[in-house]
Amino acid sequence: MNLERLEISRLFHRFGFGPKPGEFANALKQGVAATRNQLLTPPATDSGLATISPPVLTDLGNFPQNGTPARTAFDINMREQRQALTLWWLDRMALADHALAERMTWFWHGHWATSIGKVEYSLPMFNQNQTLRTFALGDFATQARTMILDGALQYWLDGGANTVAAPNENLAREFMELFTLGVDRYFETDVQAVAKGLTGYRVNRSNGNVSFIPKIHDSSTFNILGTTGTFNATQISDLVVARDDCTQFIADRIWFRFISSTIPRPDSNPIKNVFASRDLSKTVIAVATSDAMSDPQYSLVKSPVEWFIGLCRALRITPSQLPKPEQIVSYLDKLGQVPFVPPNVGGWPFGEAWLTAASAQYRLQVAQYLLAHGDISPIKSVTPSLRFSAVSDLLGIANWSLRSERAIRDISNDPTRVLLLAASSPEYIVSA
Amino acid sequence: MDTLSRRRFLQLSGAAAVAAAAPMLTMEQIAQAAQMRPLPLGTPILIVVTLYGGNDGLNTVVPFTDPIYSQARPDVSYAPSDLLPLDNQLALNGSMTGIKSLWDQKKVAIVRGVGYPDPDLSHFTSMAIWQSASPVHQVNSGWLGRWLDTQPRDPMLAISLGSVLPPLLAGNAVAGSALPLGGIVVPTGTLALDCQRISAVSRQDSKLMATAATSLRNLFDLSSTITPILKQPAPQPLDLPTTNGGSAGGNSDLQQQLDVVAKLVAAGSPTKIWSVSLGGFDTHANEKGAQSILLGNVSVSIARFMSQMRATNREKDVVIMVYSEFGRRVKANASQGTDHGTSGPVFVIGDRIKGGFYGDQPSLANLIAGDLAVTTDFRDIYASLIEGILKSPADTVLSNWKSRTDFLLKA
Repeated sequence: MNLERLEISRLFHRFGFGPKPGEFANALKQGVAATRNQLLTPPATDSGLATISPPVLTDLGNFPQNGTPARTAFDINMREQRQALTLWWLDRMALADHALAERMTWFWHGHWATSIGKVEYSLPMFNQNQTLRTFALGDFATQARTMILDGALQYWLDGGANTVAAPNENLAREFMELFTLGVDRYFETDVQAVAKGLTGYRVNRSNGNVSFIPKIHDSSTFNILGTTGTFNATQISDLVVARDDCTQFIADRIWFRFISSTIPRPDSNPIKNVFASRDLSKTVIAVATSDAMSDPQYSLVKSPVEWFIGLCRALRITPSQLPKPEQIVSYLDKLGQVPFVPPNVGGWPFGEAWLTAASAQYRLQVAQYLLAHGDISPIKSVTPSLRFSAVSDLLGIANWSLRSERAIRDISNDPTRVLLLAASSPEYIVSA
Repeated sequence: MDTLSRRRFLQLSGAAAVAAAAPMLTMEQIAQAAQMRPLPLGTPILIVVTLYGGNDGLNTVVPFTDPIYSQARPDVSYAPSDLLPLDNQLALNGSMTGIKSLWDQKKVAIVRGVGYPDPDLSHFTSMAIWQSASPVHQVNSGWLGRWLDTQPRDPMLAISLGSVLPPLLAGNAVAGSALPLGGIVVPTGTLALDCQRISAVSRQDSKLMATAATSLRNLFDLSSTITPILKQPAPQPLDLPTTNGGSAGGNSDLQQQLDVVAKLVAAGSPTKIWSVSLGGFDTHANEKGAQSILLGNVSVSIARFMSQMRATNREKDVVIMVYSEFGRRVKANASQGTDHGTSGPVFVIGDRIKGGFYGDQPSLANLIAGDLAVTTDFRDIYASLIEGILKSPADTVLSNWKSRTDFLLKA
């Protein structure tokens, strides 16, 4: 196995969404260190993103009465805003020259998994997405402090239903269990205490604005994780995020999504020590530089969105410019992963969960659809005998099995078939 | 939220995650299993019917002689003449003639006031509670999934109709299987040949790549022996009109699902649990018409299914349970609908059932914050079904839940 090719392939697919045409071949010439440096150093401006404008999202206010013309117009607006939001983010992933920031935003979206299925309004989901982007590579303590008062997250976890009289523990529990500490690293009394500290916040559902109303906030003194005092959301976030359990938990989550979902993080990996600083940029660099990156045992299944965006980038496709962009959402839905619609607050499935016969069938359909609308010239323009190596570099594939190499070489007279087969191959579906 | 589709619930509840991991079965695979190792005759079969959205129990099993009923919901209540009386206090919704006929044959247990402590009025939470059977602590496994965990591994043992597996069939170690109604489309021609070549077994594959290859190969790796049974139509109902009834309003999806179940049960599929569902019960507005169409679908589909079973030798083996995540408010809202409520009736239907009422009818006079009291915990029903139908200890599945509902005939 060519380990240098493996490491460069992992850098592109795990810390971005796969190479654009020409990038992989260039990276091979530059070598691992230069490629890593380039892929992990965000530029001041990204020309790939220059053409993308944010979606036009207005505050649509309350749901009008059912069955009225106002309601019909409202429903149409809601649907259009949702589609615009989804396509905007897919476009960013597909077009960014430097995809690390989008890739990290995608990771954090799965971490603070909030679904538009319950939130319904696009504006608060967009605001949350921008927050995640802003702090994707920043200070985790600041990220957590901002997210605990994020309107979409508050609504998703019933923050608005949390009152002094009847504290709602949903956000309190998930904040510790899923976002910062991990399960069983706190007591039920801590959940109750955090729920009390999180009272007093009200969400405007349609725009996600969160306001603090002191008179419905529980300002009594209680104990959270061994610290006694009065607490508001920000203080709670800071207290929890400062714990050593948080260092371990976030290090594990990053390991799980970037290195291996099946093999646990070894203590020797520097990720945990570096994350003690809560500096996410340094943490990501540490993990991307660690020995694990060239260790063949750490393969990782691409999620459907990662696979889909990888193909868009290789084929120079702008998702929103496809003839029927709503078709994309339908395809992603069949594959089981639509941005902004995680299945639950625990985030996306992983690993073998994405490898069913049904998903294999849908991947073929989607790949055919994308090939019909994408730029296949990098394969078509070279002579058949060079197409196998051209498709390897176009898709950034680490190493081929003899099986797949033969299958592809035997049909190299047909560039579309070459691409379809390579895109559906085990070597592309899995990041080696 | 005004409409709650099953799919949407499943997406929100984490079932998509489970479903992705669930084996997808093809009709051919089930047919082959039915032929090679048919379920022994006399083995009980549980069919779980989930009504998504929160079915209004008070307009399903109607306390029609209680004056508070019509006072609380003048525009969303039924006159006695529109109902199918079961005794002098309760009557079935007028659309449920099929289930009324089964009731008259003493094959229907109606468990009243079913719910769980501290009812949650969120669709997602409440359905997750019913499907996980864990009201206090959120767990990711379903009650029947945990039963699957105790059984020898067999993808045929529990099957859900539709491409997304409901959480109730997700165990900690194994999950039930999903049977997409439309089936899986297998590529043909050169694409098929190409796919078979690129998914052939390779020793160079990592474990995950080998799984990816298998998933693609499985698309083609179907048994070529389609049994004659599955080419035949579903078993013919014995005592229903042969004109494939239900053209009024079109075939309900539930009927299609139960037709497939009937076919596969008749063929001898080694399956002890089937899961089917119907959505649309979230009737916040203009409830009466919508709900009676849905209840009519449920009733016709179940009566048809039971009749199909009579045409086979599995009639005495099937038991159907029908439930929803909650009932609805006693008092109607301002848009001729009802908002989310608490307890509701559960139906358990079959030859093995002692027909009649179980559990106390919640009082309309003594409401708890405007909602019906819970008089029976749903775990009583689950435990009885696990022991009486699945013939297994309920302790491990239901955390030592002790109470039972005695609706099963002694064997």
